[in-house]
Amino acid sequence: MINRLRKFLNDLFSDSEKDDISIGIYGPPNAGKSTLANHISKDISGEEMSNISEVPHETRAVEKKEQVTIESDDGRTLDLNLLDMPGISTNVDFKDFTEHGVEEDEAKGRAKEATKGIVEAIKYLDDVDACLVIFDSTEDPYTQVNVTIIGNLEAKDIPILVLANKVDLEDSDPSRVRDAFPQHPVLEISAKEGENIDKLYQEIIERLG
Amino acid sequence: MAKKDEGVTIEFLSKDKLSGDSFEEKLTSVLEKVKDNHVLVLEEGWNSEEKSMLIQASMEEIDEEFAGVEFMSLDSSNSRFDRAKELFYQKVLDQEYRDGLTIVGNSRVMEKIKEERDTVSFLAKLEDAE
Repeated sequence: MINRLRKFLNDLFSDSEKDDISIGIYGPPNAGKSTLANHISKDISGEEMSNISEVPHETRAVEKKEQVTIESDDGRTLDLNLLDMPGISTNVDFKDFTEHGVEEDEAKGRAKEATKGIVEAIKYLDDVDACLVIFDSTEDPYTQVNVTIIGNLEAKDIPILVLANKVDLEDSDPSRVRDAFPQHPVLEISAKEGENIDKLYQEIIERLG
Repeated sequence: MAKKDEGVTIEFLSKDKLSGDSFEEKLTSVLEKVKDNHVLVLEEGWNSEEKSMLIQASMEEIDEEFAGVEFMSLDSSNSRFDRAKELFYQKVLDQEYRDGLTIVGNSRVMEKIKEERDTVSFLAKLEDAE
């Protein structure tokens, strides 16, 4: 698995002639995209970049953290643009928000914003250089939306690292993620607890060296 | 309020019926019927880009009455033979390779969706007929 991860990171950085690269964090709603984005952003800059909520579609527009500089031990650097994407789904029902206690008028407004965010996230598939695709490992990731996201990235030859998130939870089963997308390296993480995030950083910094 | 028909219309569209239309025309027609609570079973597979176009087009239609779609597909496998067949269709025959089935329905009608690589199922939910 580590070898496949190294290959991904080699592919990610070695052929790039750009001064900086944009990494999109994709996945379904509530998979932990913003939790991961915040963890990375906080580690690098000390600041969080996205709001987090159990209400679905909390991120309704692409959140950008530009020119995040990663520095390796020997002083080499690379600028990253980190893009926290709205969760992609095939439907947005304002009733899902009211069930979480949101007032009806606000729920309708949120639903409208969420639909625009999903369209924006899909359009960004043409602009990202690499992607972290994150799934909740307590759920079955083999859904048409997830297959569609991965399929689009594959068709565009965009390097993908699949993350099986929430491994801190008792009913986590990362093997379902590996089984669903066996063609990609899968890193097991807990964005909330920071589990294995260091491993990801270390590999990235090593590839930069 | 007039009483709605109690039931869900499931419409099967053959590949011959589908082959005459451009994808954009199919998408418009599919969304129109899905908004009218039909579940469509299309005798053709859609590629990832087309599926993302369905998602985008659905998002642009969403309002208080229409919450979006659910879709499922049974596509060809990812074996080398299938990929070679796909490539042959595209490069030699200059045709879209469309083996498979695509099922699209209103998200307020389709629920309990189960998907595996070779089996899909869902529960067609009847709306309250008030």
